[in-house]
Amino acid sequence: MSLLLSGIVFGLITASVLSIASVGLTMQFGVTNFVNFAYGELLTSGAYFALVFNQSLNMNIWVALVLAALIVAVESYLVNRVVIQPFIKRKARLLILLVVTIGLQLFLENAIQAIWGAGFQQYKTSPGSLLHLGPVLITVQQLVIIVVAACIMVATHMLLKFTKLGKAMRAMSDDPELARVSGIAVKRVTDITWLISGLLAGAAGVILAINTNSFTPALGANFLFVIFAAVISGGIGNPYGAIAGAVVIGVVMEVSASYIDSAYKTVVAFAILILVLLVRPQGIFRSRGRV
Amino acid sequence: MSFRGNLLTVSDVRKAYGGVQAVNGASFSVREGTITGLIGPNGAGKSTMVNLISGAERAQSGSIHFANQDITRLPTHRIAHLGLVRTFQISRELQRLTVLENLLLAPQHQFGEKSWAALFARRRIQEEEQRHLRKALEMLDRFSLLPLKDEYAGNLSGGQKKLLDLARALMAEPKMLLLDEPMAGVNPTLTRSLQEHIAALNKEGMTFLLIEHNLSVVESICDHVVVMAEGRVLAEGKMDTLRDNEAVVSAYLGG
Amino acid sequence: MNGLLYYLLIAAVYFCIYCIYCWGINLQFGVAGILNFTFITFVAVGAYFAGVTALGAPDGGLSGQYILGWHLPFPIPPVLGGIAAAILAVLVGIVGLRRLRSDYLAIVTVSVGQIAWFIAGNNVHLFNGWDGISQVPQPWNSVFHLSFTNYGWVFLVICIVLAIIGYIVSQALYRSPYGRVLRAIRDDEDVAAALGKNVFAYKMSAFIIGSVFAGIGGALTVEFVGAFNPSGWTTPETFIIWAAMLIGGQGNNKGMILGAFVVPVVFNEITRFLPNIPGHPQLIDSFRGMAIGLLLILAVRFRPSGLLPERKTLFSLVPTVKGSEGDDRHVLQG
Repeated sequence: MSLLLSGIVFGLITASVLSIASVGLTMQFGVTNFVNFAYGELLTSGAYFALVFNQSLNMNIWVALVLAALIVAVESYLVNRVVIQPFIKRKARLLILLVVTIGLQLFLENAIQAIWGAGFQQYKTSPGSLLHLGPVLITVQQLVIIVVAACIMVATHMLLKFTKLGKAMRAMSDDPELARVSGIAVKRVTDITWLISGLLAGAAGVILAINTNSFTPALGANFLFVIFAAVISGGIGNPYGAIAGAVVIGVVMEVSASYIDSAYKTVVAFAILILVLLVRPQGIFRSRGRV
Repeated sequence: MSFRGNLLTVSDVRKAYGGVQAVNGASFSVREGTITGLIGPNGAGKSTMVNLISGAERAQSGSIHFANQDITRLPTHRIAHLGLVRTFQISRELQRLTVLENLLLAPQHQFGEKSWAALFARRRIQEEEQRHLRKALEMLDRFSLLPLKDEYAGNLSGGQKKLLDLARALMAEPKMLLLDEPMAGVNPTLTRSLQEHIAALNKEGMTFLLIEHNLSVVESICDHVVVMAEGRVLAEGKMDTLRDNEAVVSAYLGG
Repeated sequence: MNGLLYYLLIAAVYFCIYCIYCWGINLQFGVAGILNFTFITFVAVGAYFAGVTALGAPDGGLSGQYILGWHLPFPIPPVLGGIAAAILAVLVGIVGLRRLRSDYLAIVTVSVGQIAWFIAGNNVHLFNGWDGISQVPQPWNSVFHLSFTNYGWVFLVICIVLAIIGYIVSQALYRSPYGRVLRAIRDDEDVAAALGKNVFAYKMSAFIIGSVFAGIGGALTVEFVGAFNPSGWTTPETFIIWAAMLIGGQGNNKGMILGAFVVPVVFNEITRFLPNIPGHPQLIDSFRGMAIGLLLILAVRFRPSGLLPERKTLFSLVPTVKGSEGDDRHVLQG
């Protein structure tokens, strides 16, 4: 019983990281309508930028997180402007856009490896004292992760629900043609979406790196299909679905890790991804018929 | 023109997206040998209806029969095998195939379309290809596309693409053609030419279901017209009587 | 044996194998428009299965642990390697090739690649984990008893024969009505379906045939090198093949020969001569990965149809033996 309970608590921690990352990916997909295979490398970039602030400049890890996330937001913006937009302008087919993002994935991962090396890295930070949550022990740091993720989710909700920008994003996601016709500044909304998507990716990358303790340039690439599992279970393009998907995937992964070899928990995420694609490719949490 | 039985029968078909009922209990039929028009204001559910009939989407309830077979749940390619071939509202030529290849693709159940045949039965494929080639050249000639036979279809003008759509669909030897706004965005000269082609094909025995915005076209070539509004069939009959139908007029004005 | 000659021999063997890969991925992407972002996983499956069906039973010592452990004569192991890759293709295709957007198949392939690599590395019982399989016997060398270098020539002949077969098969498929349906699906699936083509079945068949090419290429690699492990099976390896296909000219089987020559052979050979920087062991690998990624983007940006673009397929009427030629002329001139 306590095994299950601790699985659920650790699942919530994983879900926290996963939900931030998933919302960023799914939001960008919703607005631009293609999957960014270089998204994992935005997470990795975040983790390494934070490493510079934290190790070389001796900053607190949470301050480093904020700075790193801002830089990744700019990186994501530039990725769109410099690499993606030339193809969009020439009305490149979806297949070509996907090839471009996978090329970018390869480039960025190896660039990070060229700069920081392939070895393991670690932040200078302490997990803080242990807290008792009933029978489960968690660290202060893990608690902070959950709180930070919750705050980011609330902020995302406010953005989507109450701002003009959020409404424009949802409109573009629902019907791009209609959005264009009804006078939404498509280009500006797209730019801002890439910024926000990068911001979330950067933050998720740092938190992922904190949570896994040590990391390599493959950090994001290895996590990418876990993000896909969450995003697709939630119905791709749907931020709320992505959060729900992240919670399910996170909890199932960690609960299963309590019972089987924990090295295989990503295999569990993969199994869920395959199952969803076979049974309900439009996502578990999406009621509407459009795929 | 000899009218025979119903070739296509749509019965109480429904399809909703989220909360929106795009097609809401529509029923009508197309008699063999006719040109039946399907008209209605924007949002009437015509496009959804085309997708449901052609199998691109699946109806949530009701049934669709074609040539005495239930096609409600059949996938698109099986419906095409039965002889119901559709065209698309916006020309969707296969860009990197030549005009001739676009036509050669259409004949159904080609022996050479099996991967193993491509490797082990090349002589027989060659014979089949020659047969289709002869027919394709005749078809291109009929639609005045012969000089363009080796051009990539992506390089054709908008009007030529419309003609290619029709020629390609005919190469499949269908029993019935489902034309989704073939005159949309087409100049008056070409509209007339398309109209003549459709009328001529009809004389040769082809059945048409024609979705069209241009009411004068509908009036001049359709034997029977079905009016849809808000996902239902509002009225049907001859175009000249429908013009006086109050419900039809108000649907158009309201829409 | 002359060092240079031996070096060319190895390059020639790899060139043949890369040609086979390129025809495989060209059938998938260049002809049918299927995104396989983990082509190398199908190569790996072919290599592993050819390996464990040629090696004989594990002796528990240096050769480590692995499944099957059959000892079958060439060319059965490569055939089994191809079949194993085909089976994986069926499984992946069932999940990713149904009428979903092409993103989904790409997602499935990326994920399958990650997971397969992870499992093959972490599970020692399958293919000896991270150490991989080694000491795979060379085809027929128990008959020839040649030295490794002399045997290389025999192997090159085997590779050339298989490459020629690969080319003939690829061309026959491309030029047939079957290839035409695949190209139609690449251009617009909905139109192909509306014309009565079973899009799923066609995509599946192209995916399978392309994967068989991958599996056989992998089998040849393992039988030549004698060893295979997960480190030979990384993302950049897939995208070297992609870059070769895009630069050669997607849709053009001759272009694949050019691509296989220009990209992997030249690429691997040039980077081989870059100096190692002390204290930064992965730097060359990193630059190589960056260059491949950049190459992919630049290729589709500036030369989307490649060095040898796809060519138009033209048709001509063959006058029938007893029919009148005049009729044909009439039709042609309209």
